Amino acid sequence: MVLDLISAILILLGAVLSLAAAVGLLRFGDLLSRMHASAKPQVLGLVLIAIAIAIQFPTWATVTTLAIIVSFQLVTIPVATHMVGRAGYRTKHLRRSMLYRDELAEAVDRAEARETARERRREFGTDEHDG
Amino acid sequence: MNGLVITVIIAVATILFAASVFVALYRVIRGPSILDRMIGTDVILASIMCGLGAFMAVTGRTDLLPVLIVLAMLGFVGSVSVSRYVSKSDSMTPGAEAGALSDFSASDWHMPKSETAATDDAQSAREAAWAEDVARGISNVPDGPVEITVRDEVVVPDPGPAEATTASATPDDERGEGAGSGPDAGPDDGLAGPTDEVGRHRHDDGKGGHDGP
Repeated sequence: MVLDLISAILILLGAVLSLAAAVGLLRFGDLLSRMHASAKPQVLGLVLIAIAIAIQFPTWATVTTLAIIVSFQLVTIPVATHMVGRAGYRTKHLRRSMLYRDELAEAVDRAEARETARERRREFGTDEHDG
Repeated sequence: MNGLVITVIIAVATILFAASVFVALYRVIRGPSILDRMIGTDVILASIMCGLGAFMAVTGRTDLLPVLIVLAMLGFVGSVSVSRYVSKSDSMTPGAEAGALSDFSASDWHMPKSETAATDDAQSAREAAWAEDVARGISNVPDGPVEITVRDEVVVPDPGPAEATTASATPDDERGEGAGSGPDAGPDDGLAGPTDEVGRHRHDDGKGGHDGP
């Protein structure tokens, strides 16, 4: 009975995380902020629900399948979120005023300068630079 | 008593799952860009996964566990494919684009054409590189302005003799009066066309250089 109560509370926590993600998705004004909000039920909510299922049915088949699900989610969610964030950065779906510092812009600048230097060396011959 | 508490908790959790799905659906409908819609879809999918897990925990249907795996894979594949589509359809990072263009122009079927004759494409590419450098502030190209003045000399004398034969000696000053007199309008248009094109080209590249930071 106590295990049932613990499981129900874990399910409720998962539901609260899901609702928090939805409210954050509704209220935040930026793509990156919405991504920050939306990552909560995908990982933590699912982990809580998986723990609830494992408490209810502690058999090997169930627990291993839940471990597979949770590890798959832990591996794939950062990759998917990273790709969405990169696409949003490249298509400028972000508010500059909400950023404290943009380190990716500096890295892009450095890579761009290096690329143009290489391109110019290739176009004008090697004697223009250092040779 | 305890069973009643558990029932109330499960009912509240169900209501919260449904509310989160509807609120995320509002973001999917409203979302300004396709990426916002994708994030909303991810949240809906996460809510469905959590709700299905809660359903399994309550009713004991652990045979639905592979459905959770399928839903997780579906969310991953959908998010990655949509973000790849967005990155492809819009322009890439300026640095990556410049690298791709340099590889493209240095390929086998494009270089012999510029070796045989100094074509317009190679010169415009050099101009573009110089303008990009000037826009960024690393104008250490020795022959960048020389190329552009050469091109201007090529462009300007073509309407020059035609203009001299007709009437006026200073074609640049009479840009405004060109509309009034008949024979000036033709060469004036011919002069304004290429310079405008070059200017727009240069401005476009300067803007592309500024897009990165």
